[in-house]
Amino acid sequence: MVLVAVVFVGLFAPLIANDLPLCARVDGTLVFPAFADLFGDAPPGPHDLTWKQWWSRLDPAGEDWACMPLRPYGPLETDARRFFAPPSWAHPFGNDDTGRDVLARIVHGAGTAIRIGLPAVLVATLLGTLIGAWAGYARGLVDTMVQRLIELFLCFPTMLFLLFSAAFFGNSATGMTIVMAMLFWVSFARIVRGEMLSLRERDFVLVARGLGVPTWRILVFHLLPQLAGQIGVTAAFCMAAAVVAESTLSFLGIGPAADSSWGTMLRQGSEHAAIGAWHLWFFPAAAIVTFVVSCHVLADRLRAH
Amino acid sequence: MGRWFVNRLAWLLLTLLGVTFVTFFVLDRAPVDRAELEAMRATESGSFADAAERAAAIQRLRIRYGMVDPDTLEPAPLWRRYAAWLGNAATLRFAGPSEDHEQLWRRVGQALPVTMLLGGCSLTIALVVGLAGGLWLGRRVGSARERWASAGMLVLLGIPEFLLGSLLLLAFSVVWVQWFPTGGLRSDGAERWTFAAQLADFAWHLALPVMVMAIGPTVMVTRFVRDAVARASGAAFVANLRALGLGRRVVARRLLRHGSTPVATLAGGLLPMLVGGSIVVENMFSLDGLGHLAFEAVRRQDQAMVMVLVLLTSVVTLLALLLSDLLHRLVDPRVRLQV
Repeated sequence: MVLVAVVFVGLFAPLIANDLPLCARVDGTLVFPAFADLFGDAPPGPHDLTWKQWWSRLDPAGEDWACMPLRPYGPLETDARRFFAPPSWAHPFGNDDTGRDVLARIVHGAGTAIRIGLPAVLVATLLGTLIGAWAGYARGLVDTMVQRLIELFLCFPTMLFLLFSAAFFGNSATGMTIVMAMLFWVSFARIVRGEMLSLRERDFVLVARGLGVPTWRILVFHLLPQLAGQIGVTAAFCMAAAVVAESTLSFLGIGPAADSSWGTMLRQGSEHAAIGAWHLWFFPAAAIVTFVVSCHVLADRLRAH
Repeated sequence: MGRWFVNRLAWLLLTLLGVTFVTFFVLDRAPVDRAELEAMRATESGSFADAAERAAAIQRLRIRYGMVDPDTLEPAPLWRRYAAWLGNAATLRFAGPSEDHEQLWRRVGQALPVTMLLGGCSLTIALVVGLAGGLWLGRRVGSARERWASAGMLVLLGIPEFLLGSLLLLAFSVVWVQWFPTGGLRSDGAERWTFAAQLADFAWHLALPVMVMAIGPTVMVTRFVRDAVARASGAAFVANLRALGLGRRVVARRLLRHGSTPVATLAGGLLPMLVGGSIVVENMFSLDGLGHLAFEAVRRQDQAMVMVLVLLTSVVTLLALLLSDLLHRLVDPRVRLQV
């Protein structure tokens, strides 16, 4: 449940917490600034004002109107009157050292984590499963080669490698996703290969082969569905590992998620902890732990099935 | 045995080739031109008269870095540059063009003991606590205490090192109580103290970082041992021993032997975890170890150092894997060594 919520929030972060209206009527035309933000380019506000200023000066009796998101605060929107403001009803998680809404930043942090973690895990699952299934089913030379490749990647210093690639690829989230997928596919390949070795000897495979079912059909429709549980367990663990890696790098101040990431928030928060601003580090820490523990619990549940 | 060893060593070398090549390849894909970067630094200090001189300097740098062929000025292909690196590596000359080899080895040599100390302490704690805890839990699987402890371990596993580190640092060094130092390895002027005082000072500085690094591996070892011991306690030989009237201690010792089998195989996998932990911990507690060196190399875009560090950690990991195979054989005589 928690996972589904986080993934949903992460994917649609700009629609949930933003200082841009979801939908607005400006001088008679309808615009959708928050949706534009979701796809990468936020439009400038009307009449040389920011959207927020325009919204606050809106005449209730006038023709123009705006529908703001659930949290009408952007992750970068500062408020000079609310530096270090503790949690309140309007700002349940408080405000940070430049008056930004912590809840809005947490929501966008989920966005960063999901945008990097989810594609990495998906690519790794697909790649690892296919290679593992192929190696386990075909045996012979292919299997030997894949096995050696798996061993090679297993002794890779993962964290070290991520650190280097994050730094050398600069602010490219795609680069980081590719590198993570490159490091994670091995765990899938190893498990799928191992299971495939025993599955392929079962009678129903022999029957299918005897009936002339093509190999790819046997693999995709008869064998892989049996491994779905195990693949799910690995995917849950990898998701946790990806989010931890992303926030660790952000915590160290390296990587694509320079601004709205749980790791970055935690670093900035712990710098201000000495003056008693506990809400700056507590909420990002809670977000990370909640996410990772839910991944592990999911993995445990899947394994129990 | 001898044949097995030779095969394993050959495979070790091949894996090293693979690891360094993949790293080299990925670094090569990075959109960073070292010559341009160097020239940019020089431009900022105003050392070029005009654009032509700057272009010539960039070309010279490219030749010096081995990025282009000195005669044709065409970009050198990846495999040729990798071969050049390999040739240098075979004679242990790892330094980049802007640094000499002794300097690089001195830096690595200074950092290595710190990381080894951290890793050694954490690994020892992980093995001792993990074996004891796993044995204790494994004999009580299903009881309320075991379930609480296992749930707690699941939460501990969910706390990343950097989070645990900053929370401990905040709690015990900054906000709550100031029991531990915030960083470094020794106090100011500690070299004039007696040996015992210096040792105590050392331990005092190491307490928090080692704790942060040890928790992940400890939980891993505990879980593995718990499962192995739980499996073994159901085996016939345990009931047999009990029926013979042997004391709990004797039974526990037999069970421990079973429990330590997975640890032997796990030991190799723990090392990459410790390397990752050392990067976080050393930067958090300002210790000058390999993790800190890695961080510095990344900030200065020092590719030569990156290659050295990747090579070093993979050599250690591979040796640990080799050792864990031998250990496995030692603990569990049923295992045959095979390639």
